Amino acid sequence: MIEVVDLVKDYRAGDGSVVHAVDRISFEVAAGETVGLLGANGAGKTTTLRVLATLLKPTSGTARVAGHDVVADPVGVRRHLGYVSATTGVADRLTPREIFTSFGRLHGLDRDATATRVERLLAGLDLASCADRPAGRLSSGQRQRVSLGRALVHDPPALVLDEPTNALDVLGARDLLAMLGQLRAEGHAILISTHRLHEIEHRCDRFVIVHMGRIVAAGTRDELVADGAGLEDAFFVAVSRRAF
Amino acid sequence: MPSLSGALAVAGFQLRRLLTPPRLAMAALGAVFPAAVMLAASRASRGRLDPDLAVVLLYVLIPEGLCLLGLLVTMCPAVSDELERGTWVHVTVRPSGRASLLMGTFLAAVVWTGAVALIALGIALAVTKVWHPETVAAAFTGLIMLSCIGRAALFALPAVIMPKRALVASVGVAIVVEYLAGVLPAVVNQATVSLRLRTLLVEWMGWRRKLPVEIQLLVDMQPAWVQVIAVFIVAAVFLTVALFILERRQFPPSEEV
Repeated sequence: MIEVVDLVKDYRAGDGSVVHAVDRISFEVAAGETVGLLGANGAGKTTTLRVLATLLKPTSGTARVAGHDVVADPVGVRRHLGYVSATTGVADRLTPREIFTSFGRLHGLDRDATATRVERLLAGLDLASCADRPAGRLSSGQRQRVSLGRALVHDPPALVLDEPTNALDVLGARDLLAMLGQLRAEGHAILISTHRLHEIEHRCDRFVIVHMGRIVAAGTRDELVADGAGLEDAFFVAVSRRAF
Repeated sequence: MPSLSGALAVAGFQLRRLLTPPRLAMAALGAVFPAAVMLAASRASRGRLDPDLAVVLLYVLIPEGLCLLGLLVTMCPAVSDELERGTWVHVTVRPSGRASLLMGTFLAAVVWTGAVALIALGIALAVTKVWHPETVAAAFTGLIMLSCIGRAALFALPAVIMPKRALVASVGVAIVVEYLAGVLPAVVNQATVSLRLRTLLVEWMGWRRKLPVEIQLLVDMQPAWVQVIAVFIVAAVFLTVALFILERRQFPPSEEV
């Protein structure tokens, strides 16, 4: 469902030098699978996800979502992808219902289809009781669920989440991750980036560890983690190996 | 290409965002300011303000001044606001998100500024003595709408080219393009909205024959319908160029607040 092959993304820094934000990264996420993209701040996680979301153009390499190339067919990618970020960007003055409706219309859904989808999302994300309350008066957990609902408004088969639990407390994070589990069970391909390893250690099917723009380790938890250790230990081993 | 439903959805939530107490207070101030200036002018002239001069003053205050200020506030932040609020990524991952964002913001800017300017016109006309107020009202309604459409499209360019400096750039564009180049009797002013609006004011107020020769250099000789079409063409060109640029803009994550 999500394929990334030899992806490179360079930026030009203020002094004119070239920064390799992403350097020949390759991985894939199948339908009904959750893959964790792990890395420290500045490792290249957000840039990778933004290339997948067609917000940035790759310098070289390819990225596809549901068979649609991010460069050749960005509109096709956008129709099949939902994107959630750490900053929810939820307008304080609008209610969850208004936000879902606006984004449904923005996605080109007709009025009836939007209304049906909005009701389903409000119920599924446990937002029915605050559907008509301005988002500025919602808890951070509820706002992140609104953000998730906004990404799901067009029912995309692939979902990309960029550090979605950053602003959440323990309960909010667990709540959100449980919902992602449901979405995986429904067949969604989920790519989630985070540096809060303990939260997703037992929730992802596979992990891709990136450091300084490159993949330094990839595999299932069992493949990455030594006996008696945790994912965090495996992460440090992988990153240290690369650093020295 | 933007979808109509997408542009309307963006326009809807941009207008709802504008309904905040500070923005409403600013709009109310803008709506009464021209009337206050007209009253002051009338008082300064001891009630003998020349009706034609009153129309010129209204023109400077509303289609030029108020519309320009309103559009600076509503159109310039088209991209920068989304980057700062963290909504840019959520809007632009939609199939025609970038185009819908620009066109929706354009629509909201025109509707909001146009509405404030029309209210200001109504209040100002109520306190100002002009010949044939209904003719002035009709002419100014047209001038306000054309000013909003033309200038909102013009400000779309700085909004997409340099989002974080859009306000400063737009003020520069307004001064250099609209008010300096716009009064040069040369080919360069043909692409300015101010030339078209001035010419329409002269045409619709029936002043063409009254104008001194030197002032005639500041207006176009073509009829009113040509001026109206010219504003729409200029607006279409500006918006097309802005859309072209916006579709290609990339903002590294570090540029978002």
